Amino acid sequence: MKKILLCCNAGMSTSLLVQKMQKEAASRDLDVDIEARPLNEAMDHVDEAAIILLGPQIGYTKADFERAVEGRDIPVEVIPMIEYGRMNAAKILDDVQAKIG
Amino acid sequence: MADATGYLDRFADVSARIGNQVHLRSLRDGFATIMPLFILAGVAALFNNVVFTWIWGPSGLMPSADVLGWAQYWGGALSNGTLNISAILLCGMIGYCLAQNKRFDNPIACVVIAVSALAVLMPQTVAAAVAPASQLFEEGKSITTPVSGAFTTGYTGTAGLFSAIIVGLLATTVFIKISGVDRLRIKMPEGVPPAVGKSFDVLIPMILSLGAFGLVAMILFAIPAHTDLTAIINEFIQTPLRALTTNVWGLVIIYSIGTFLFTLGIHQTTINGVLVEPILTIVLLNNTALYNAGKAIPMANFMNMDIINVFALMGGSGCTLALLIATFIMGRYRPSKEVAKMAVLPGLFNINEPVIYGYPIVFNIPLMIPFVLNTALGIVISYFATVIGLISPCVIQVPWTCPIVFSGALATGGDLRASVLQVLLLALYTVIYLPFMKASEKSLQKQAELAEQAEQG
Repeated sequence: MKKILLCCNAGMSTSLLVQKMQKEAASRDLDVDIEARPLNEAMDHVDEAAIILLGPQIGYTKADFERAVEGRDIPVEVIPMIEYGRMNAAKILDDVQAKIG
Repeated sequence: MADATGYLDRFADVSARIGNQVHLRSLRDGFATIMPLFILAGVAALFNNVVFTWIWGPSGLMPSADVLGWAQYWGGALSNGTLNISAILLCGMIGYCLAQNKRFDNPIACVVIAVSALAVLMPQTVAAAVAPASQLFEEGKSITTPVSGAFTTGYTGTAGLFSAIIVGLLATTVFIKISGVDRLRIKMPEGVPPAVGKSFDVLIPMILSLGAFGLVAMILFAIPAHTDLTAIINEFIQTPLRALTTNVWGLVIIYSIGTFLFTLGIHQTTINGVLVEPILTIVLLNNTALYNAGKAIPMANFMNMDIINVFALMGGSGCTLALLIATFIMGRYRPSKEVAKMAVLPGLFNINEPVIYGYPIVFNIPLMIPFVLNTALGIVISYFATVIGLISPCVIQVPWTCPIVFSGALATGGDLRASVLQVLLLALYTVIYLPFMKASEKSLQKQAELAEQAEQG
């Protein structure tokens, strides 16, 4: 069971994306747990994550997250704006699978 | 060009960092936790002033002063439990959120400190007007007498919100700082349960920080002016700040900067949410309290949070609901039309990230113009519509996710003209978006073709 941690500003639109990603993951029979957290909580949960995805609104925090997971094999990625806006769960999951297999 | 992009990136980065500054963020989080109470206060005011008077009022369906009085007691009680203690609630919540955002391990202690410090700084007597039945009463003269054993809603309610913010941040900061001093910790011998030690850990910092606030209160009382911190804050900080942020042109500039930021991908609330939303919300809550008491709304309070959320951000920042309508009417470019279809449902609830990032608005030069322009127009038009009396002033806080037409009527205490104004504004926004939408389609198509050529080339 790998955990994908999504992090965004407040969580309105990200909650929609998580829903779509969970559906997509289920249809691919992936053993992943996808959860979204707002910025101020996410930092406390980086250790549990296999990969951290940041919403484009908070892309500037990438460096902070990379520092938080330094020395561990936890990739930190900013979701591309277009994929995020179009809620392209399939494409985002493809990228995640390429990263963490 | 590369220079300009680098500059914009830096601008976006700096703005985002301001918006995420820990104190400002805690203030925003603190407000968010008690938002439901303010919404409830608005609903209660609406019932008291519109629904109940419509049924039992002097010219109502079943006129009865008695029943009206009983019914309105319900709204009055709710107002007491929300608006009239809003400063106390906010102060505690800010203490909690600041502790959390600073990763302090005892946020509950910060709630205690913040609320307690606010009360420490309140005046110990309340000026009460002498009743006409009293022997002290003289006709034609208003005599007040100091009453002890009371807190006044002038300090615990909406009028005290601003100082609650400052005291909440200050008291929590002082407490966390003192707690960090190792030498003040009482060391327990081995064998004493750790929880006991923890209870002593907060003891000395609490005594010291509250004691210090008590000293401040004492000094302010002892000087000839006999004042208190809230009075000073209201006079010297809140009044000028309020004049600045509720000025229509000042607000247009601030919001235009915010929406422009959004066209670079940084959420507009990052800036607006911390710089102006707290004060605009305070003004709106003042209005709710006035409306509930049946008093007139002064013109200085016409510019408030509802003007922004209800009229200037329809369907989200930049009024993108209008862009979606424009796309349905005249859109020819398939990818944009697909996004529009998907984004319409969230858009009805004023959530528009799918449009911002997917349509996209971000770095889409033709659309950046109407995006910023529409929000500015919405502020100006709806504010002046209030000033000249076309619509009633906004008095009730509606959740920002409330769909248009409903939100206009609710915000103004049931004035349907506000809903009509919303529809007219939406039509105007759509007309403004149309030519820019066509230009955007052309440029998106060109970009797509170029990208294809690059792949084949």
